[in-house]
Amino acid sequence: MSYIIEIEDLQKHYDNSGERFHALRDIDMKVRRGECVILKGISGSGKTTLLGIMAGLDHPSSGKVVVDGEAIAKLPDRHLSRFRGKHIGMIFQHYNLIENFSVRENVMVPLVPMNLDFEEVERRVRESMEVANISHKASMSAGRLSGGEKQRTAIARALASDPEIILCDEPTANLDRANSERFVEILSKLHDMGKSIVIATHDPIFDHLPFEARVVHMEDGRVVEEGRES
Amino acid sequence: MGNRTFAYFLALSLFGEKGRHISTVLLSILIVFLLSSVLFISSSLHSVIENALREEPDLVVQRVEAGRLVNLPLKWEEEILSIRGVSKVTPRIWGRYFTGVKGKSFLVIAVDFLDENSHKTLEKLIGETELKTFLDGRHMIVGYAVMEWMKSHFYKEYYNFIGRDGEIKKMKISKVLPKEDNALFADTIIMGIESAREIFGISEDEATDLILDIPNDAERDFIADKISSLHYDIRTISKKESRAAYDRMFNFKGGFFLSLFCVVLLAFVLILYQRYSQVYSREKRQIGIFRALGWSMGDVLKLKFLETLSVVTGSYIIGVSIAYIYVYILGAPLLKNIFMGNGNLDMELILPPVLDFSALSSIFLLYALPFIAAVLIPVWRISVSDPKEAML
Amino acid sequence: MNPILLDTQVQIYLLSEAILYLLMIPAFLISLKIIPKWDFGSFSQEQYALEREAYLVMTILIFAFVMKFLLLPYFVFAIDNLNTLVPGAMCAAGVISANSYGMPLLFVKLFLVFALILWMAVNHYDLEAKNYPWFKIKMWIFIAIFIVASVELWLDFSYFLDIDPTRPVSCCSALFGQLEGANPLPFGLDIEKLLILFYLSWSLIVFAHYTGQTLAKLLATLLFVYISYYAVVYFFGTYVYELPTHKCPFCMMQKEYHYAGYLIWATLFGGSFGTMAASICKIFLKVDTGKMESLSFAMLNLFTLTVSLYPLVYRLQNGVWL
Repeated sequence: MSYIIEIEDLQKHYDNSGERFHALRDIDMKVRRGECVILKGISGSGKTTLLGIMAGLDHPSSGKVVVDGEAIAKLPDRHLSRFRGKHIGMIFQHYNLIENFSVRENVMVPLVPMNLDFEEVERRVRESMEVANISHKASMSAGRLSGGEKQRTAIARALASDPEIILCDEPTANLDRANSERFVEILSKLHDMGKSIVIATHDPIFDHLPFEARVVHMEDGRVVEEGRES
Repeated sequence: MGNRTFAYFLALSLFGEKGRHISTVLLSILIVFLLSSVLFISSSLHSVIENALREEPDLVVQRVEAGRLVNLPLKWEEEILSIRGVSKVTPRIWGRYFTGVKGKSFLVIAVDFLDENSHKTLEKLIGETELKTFLDGRHMIVGYAVMEWMKSHFYKEYYNFIGRDGEIKKMKISKVLPKEDNALFADTIIMGIESAREIFGISEDEATDLILDIPNDAERDFIADKISSLHYDIRTISKKESRAAYDRMFNFKGGFFLSLFCVVLLAFVLILYQRYSQVYSREKRQIGIFRALGWSMGDVLKLKFLETLSVVTGSYIIGVSIAYIYVYILGAPLLKNIFMGNGNLDMELILPPVLDFSALSSIFLLYALPFIAAVLIPVWRISVSDPKEAML
Repeated sequence: MNPILLDTQVQIYLLSEAILYLLMIPAFLISLKIIPKWDFGSFSQEQYALEREAYLVMTILIFAFVMKFLLLPYFVFAIDNLNTLVPGAMCAAGVISANSYGMPLLFVKLFLVFALILWMAVNHYDLEAKNYPWFKIKMWIFIAIFIVASVELWLDFSYFLDIDPTRPVSCCSALFGQLEGANPLPFGLDIEKLLILFYLSWSLIVFAHYTGQTLAKLLATLLFVYISYYAVVYFFGTYVYELPTHKCPFCMMQKEYHYAGYLIWATLFGGSFGTMAASICKIFLKVDTGKMESLSFAMLNLFTLTVSLYPLVYRLQNGVWL
């Protein structure tokens, strides 16, 4: 099976005091293994919601979501959480680090429920900090890091559980130009490692990536256009 | 889970943010300390009574007239001795001697020491004191509380009793019972039966009561029934009955305290609920991030529950230890008075250390169960934090 | 006031039971709400909310379960200590028979322990599966547990309020001792046949365990609990006490006998209830209950070994049987 993410006829709506708000309508989307997909669109176009559903953080109102062979649209919390921890690496817009934890401890968070040996946990933490180029700040508390360092910590954390899929929500929104370029560098490293990547962004820096990527335009909760760039 | 990584995170959430748990821990320690002090004192007193009761007579026979205890004729001794199963009957004279109209009182107990088989307890108390010299003159053995009172009234070697006939009977103090020996004898005076007869004005053919030895404990109730039917005015008190009376007295005091304590406990539970709801609402985002990174509700539940359990157990151990030191090493100043509540002589009770399963499990149940019950709902509420929280 | 109610342990016990019951009330109300609405296939927000609430029911029940488990020996311990206040009683046997609520209360407690073990097992397998297949069964079991727990609470208070400290009760020798002509053993058995049946039913469990015959194991375990109770009281117990006439299920829980009774009864009831719950899950839910079965099986064997060792050690030390 070559598709790692398959979404069919996905709907997401919120019911607010009788009124129905459609966040996502009739989404059909497939992501191949090792592929990089850029979700583009203005705020409120539904990219973040779609990303959340792919990650199993949010539930669809109807439709089919199969990620890495597992239908995650309707899964009990216990299995969904395990799945998320094992297969999905998530990089959030606001980094979502635990401020009073050190970098090392932040990277460790997704490994705690995985029931691994402590040695294995330490090895994975070390390795992912190296990939994200943040090893030198390992014991500094996350609250004292600069924006770029926070971003790299978040990447290390997303890599810790060695997931097949990396999902990024507006990864460069809070970064300056230099740091955004460093992010793209790391991203290409991940692409070379064979990770499947989905990025929700409206940053033009992703228009010119050093590797092949597919762009999906979203508007008002629908996919409007698909294209390919490199 | 349950591995080292998890333990590391448990420690992180326990000690990571100082002050997050400190107020709960301090409050818990106070609660456990109060509770264990009271239960320790009561189980210690319980053991004192147990020890005393072990040497208590198997059965006491008294005469009751119109509900009032009166002296009984010594001829009853023979009648009772003829009942099968009774191996020995010892007449006893005792009564409270008041030092003045509004004065203090001593419990004067006397048996016939010339009788070879005199009362076990007294025999043991007198111990190495020469029985002969003791009986020769007018000697007595006094409890330490009695001694202290006498000292403060300038009687150092003897005391002048005023007998029923109005004459002064001078009694020499031959021994003071040490504090440690037996708490129940603090206000007691032991003397020869003849001296006691003179002081209380009891004639030669009468006694206050009779104490019986009944070797087979299965027969005691039966024999007690038989004795009761000898005369209409006979009353019998078995060892078990006097134990029950003591138990009731202490249970009453303990129960009273516990009822009061329940109010404190309720306040404690409300504070905990409030506190944990507050602490956890601040953590909602952090847990949301954990959830987004693969923690299930069960994982968070486990972390938070073990966190609570650590606080509970830690406070329990510290509280119990402090209470142990307070009660058994410092002698429980202040609190002991609640239990003693004897306004007569200043009794200073030495509490023998007793650390029994009953007290320890009671403390744990009474403290840990409401504690955990109080935080259960806040813990659940934080555990089901929506992982979407991390997307906002 | 009734001096029984002033006993510290009785107060703590009743308070604990009341708190646990109070906690179970919201769990019960939530269950009542969840059962008709539960539809795991649904994508509605309401269904996700129900899933979260189900976790609350689960949290409360697991806590209540652990506590009930601890409260059972505490209860026995407390009534054992009450023997000083109840005339005639020498141990818990006399106190429990002080009124007609005592024995039913004890049975209800044992039943609750079994029901809670069963609930925990079903809950475990339900969570393992990916679509909550036994969710409603689990909820119905809880509703049953709640009803029994209500009866238990009522019995708790009725029992302790009704103990009359002036009314003499019989001691265990009168309650369990052999009366002239009357045989207390079931099916008209004598001690030898009782022992044969005891070891036979145990062998049956062992056989069924290794050949994987679940129904046979369930039935054999039922027989085994029943027979074991009599075997412990009328035969093995006498070796615990080292006195052929001392027949009592409670005295062995006293300090004089090194609290051996707690081990004996805990392994018997823990092992057999575990086996029964595992067998029921295997038959009706068709799940792999391997771990639970081995654990319960080990407990049953520990029980059999413990009680068998008492007479054997006695024989070795004294050269005779009692």
